[in-house]
Amino acid sequence: MISRLAGFVCCLAVAVPAYAVDENEANNLLEDSKCFKCHSIDKKKDGPSFKVTAAKYKGKADAEAKLTKHVTVPSKVKIDGVEEDHGAAKTRDPAKVKNLVQWILSR
Amino acid sequence: MQIAWLARFWAALRTPSARYSLLTLAGGGFAAGIIFWGGFNTALEATNTLEFCIGCHEMNSTVYPEYKQTIHYSNRTGVRAVCSDCHVPKDWTHKMIRKIEASGEVWGKITGVIDTPEKFEAKRYELATRAWTRMVTTDSIECRNCHHIDSMDPSKQTEKAQRRHAKAKAEGKTCIECHFGIAHKEPVGPDGPSELKAKLLSRK
Repeated sequence: MISRLAGFVCCLAVAVPAYAVDENEANNLLEDSKCFKCHSIDKKKDGPSFKVTAAKYKGKADAEAKLTKHVTVPSKVKIDGVEEDHGAAKTRDPAKVKNLVQWILSR
Repeated sequence: MQIAWLARFWAALRTPSARYSLLTLAGGGFAAGIIFWGGFNTALEATNTLEFCIGCHEMNSTVYPEYKQTIHYSNRTGVRAVCSDCHVPKDWTHKMIRKIEASGEVWGKITGVIDTPEKFEAKRYELATRAWTRMVTTDSIECRNCHHIDSMDPSKQTEKAQRRHAKAKAEGKTCIECHFGIAHKEPVGPDGPSELKAKLLSRK
């Protein structure tokens, strides 16, 4: 019974594909939202690189929820000791937000 | 045979003219100089046009569509910066250095180094680091074709931009250290312009 159940779980794991990130859509949203002004993919700018962010959230269960909140709700961040406004992604489409969050997490 | 011909030609060049006046020779030389210089400059400027740059598919199908999405291509005021505005300095000396350097790109075209989008992607980081290295060593001379930090009116900038520019000025940063990946996709790779600049400075 246990082996059957394990087999079923394995089949499910194979059947459910990993989220396919649309690179171009994520890139366009990042451009439109001016994210690249402070964040780079993997290099140093005033904000952390997306690679650093991905590493920070790697393996954390609440990664998607936290990042979704961060990119959709305006907040305050500290740059060089000065508090600044952190804007939100310029979209209200949940699918585009999900794609963006998955793009960040996959760096 | 050929040496004798060359010697006669050289002797003819060195012999004073018995037929033409000094005025005719000087005037003729002046006019020929204008035609040559005009032609040279026209040809040089022709290689600075957007049409020339996107004439090859290597640029037309890769960096050009990316640039078309940016503020340097389309903006509120209708001022467009074309490829050469950001990749070729305006002053003559630096322009000539860049043009001579760019002649290597002709070899790249002949040998097909980036003749497919896949090959271009594989080379994107290397090509970007070349452009960044050039810009950090010339204090972003191409950006300064149009932008000058001393000509900026901070009161017309956002508070964020004011702080960033003040910090850049205080730390002696050059434009490209922050404004990279703005006209083309940012390539994935270990060093950005700041890191390249630090490496160059550490070698001195």
